Amino acid sequence: MIGSVLQLLISGIAMGCIYGLVGIEYTLVWNSTGLINFAHDKLIMLGAYVFAGTFIVKMGVNPIIGVLATLIVMFLFGSAVAIGIFNPLRNKPTIFAVMGTVLLGRVISEAVRLIWGPTPFTLPTFLHGIVHIGNIVVATANIWIIVVSAVLVIGLTIFFRTTRTGKAMRCVQHNKTAAALMGIDVTRNIIFTIGLSAMVCTLIGIMVIPLFTIDGTIGSMIGLKGFASGLVGGFGYLPGTVVGGIIIGIVENMSTIIIPATYKDVVAFILMVSFLLIEPSGLLGHGKNQSR
Amino acid sequence: MDMKKTTRIVLLGILSVGLLILPIIDKNGYRQLLFDQVFINMIVVMGLNFISGLTGQMNLGTAGIIGCGAYASTLLCMKLNLPVAVGFLAAILMGFIIGQCLGYPSLRVSGVYLSLTTIGFSEITRLVLTNWIGFTGGSAGVPNIPRLQLFGITFDSAFKNYYLYLVLAVLLAIFASRVVYSKWGRAFKAIRDNIEAVSACGIDIAKLKILAFTLAAMYGCFAGALYANMVGYINPTTFNLDLSINYLVMLMLGGIGSVAGNIIGAVTVTLLPEFLRFMQNYYWLVFSIIALLFAVFLPNGIVSLFTGKDKKAPWGVLGKFWIPKREKEGKTEP
Repeated sequence: MIGSVLQLLISGIAMGCIYGLVGIEYTLVWNSTGLINFAHDKLIMLGAYVFAGTFIVKMGVNPIIGVLATLIVMFLFGSAVAIGIFNPLRNKPTIFAVMGTVLLGRVISEAVRLIWGPTPFTLPTFLHGIVHIGNIVVATANIWIIVVSAVLVIGLTIFFRTTRTGKAMRCVQHNKTAAALMGIDVTRNIIFTIGLSAMVCTLIGIMVIPLFTIDGTIGSMIGLKGFASGLVGGFGYLPGTVVGGIIIGIVENMSTIIIPATYKDVVAFILMVSFLLIEPSGLLGHGKNQSR
Repeated sequence: MDMKKTTRIVLLGILSVGLLILPIIDKNGYRQLLFDQVFINMIVVMGLNFISGLTGQMNLGTAGIIGCGAYASTLLCMKLNLPVAVGFLAAILMGFIIGQCLGYPSLRVSGVYLSLTTIGFSEITRLVLTNWIGFTGGSAGVPNIPRLQLFGITFDSAFKNYYLYLVLAVLLAIFASRVVYSKWGRAFKAIRDNIEAVSACGIDIAKLKILAFTLAAMYGCFAGALYANMVGYINPTTFNLDLSINYLVMLMLGGIGSVAGNIIGAVTVTLLPEFLRFMQNYYWLVFSIIALLFAVFLPNGIVSLFTGKDKKAPWGVLGKFWIPKREKEGKTEP
């Protein structure tokens, strides 16, 4: 009994890390532009396809080189998205930019279907296998997810606190006008931020390959639950989204002990809606973003 | 002026005659079904216009609303053996309830938060409809839905539905455009433009937001019941986030805030992919790219071409006949 609970706990934490990363990725976009990237689940899918479809299956390169190459490609793609959609639309009412990103998502998913074909596929050897710790069985993929997420969160924190670019990005998050007056190029800053978030999306997409089959919907549920993680933990606040993501991952995995597993997906949304109604600023949020 | 009025009447006359004889000329069953779908989409978008277009609250839960309407009317009729007309009334009641419930969170949260709440509502609805197999039939859906019987006519073909839906769409469009220019409509727009000023004028924002949501949900649920009646089979996978997005695309593409824009948007987005079908595999990609270009370069929608804002455009002349004068004078930029 305890063994199975621990197992659920670990896979819950791993899924929670994924949700937390999704939360980080769109919090970056939200903080720098005040908009939400509704195409982020499609970016996750695109990352998975570029890595698995092109670099591994077609070119047969080493996975490490494949990951690096995919990150570069997706950074450039993200920057192009910023130039084409976010920068022109960020000063208009939110609904216009939201529609822009939503339609971008459609274009991406159609392009993916045409380029890589509609048949789902998997990478059978990538991050495959299980590890025994005592009498608990843990999938290698889950360990990788937890380690990579931890490294990424620490790395991003250091980047934001110490480097010049990171500080400039935080500055833009707080006040765009003041940042512009201090000589920070807000437009270029946003391009870089969106590129960075596209890279985080790519990492998520690559890490969930062993958990799902690679198809057009690989990112949909993760993407939606990533929103939920931000709301539970505290919108617009990076550590909050990670905590929120892990809470959702654990709660939804633990809920399968009590309720039928088919309702597992409902749990995250119920958690999200109840937090919105009771505590809209989240567990760790500052509440300042609430009225926006 | 008189000349202009005559032209407008003549054009409207041609349009209505065209609409009346369209299904008689075109006997293709698929295209007739498509025209029915256009009317249903019009009704949904006109509803969505109240909340997302006028009041400026992003609603991404349209699919959930339509799904609730479709399932409410269908299940009530099938489980209790009631006439379908009662099911339609039940769908409207359902819309009222959903509107009141969804409107409540919009008091506490707004903007992006609200769109996330509505996504949550829509996803919960879809997942419950999929998993509550004993009651809703699960992902297999509900087949053999009884058709509407009214005045001794059974509305069981796309041809008969066409006229019913045409009448309903016209009535609801008239109602919607009356609302847009009523006290409510002005207050809705005011909430979108400057919420502090509205409350300073002594207008109850909470009541109005819930009202806008209720109108939207009632239109949506009614359209859901019409949809169930049209296809005769409903399935929870239809009512996903993609559908909600489709309705927002219609709202955007046509033009936010005006009923004429809603109608243009619903017609364009429903029929344009069919015209692009000759591109076979690429048609949906091309359509998405066209929509994306519209969103970036013409964010105020097709209707903004006619409102004379862009004076150099040759089609601006058309606007003189189509757009009511008060709309031309009003600001179109939300």
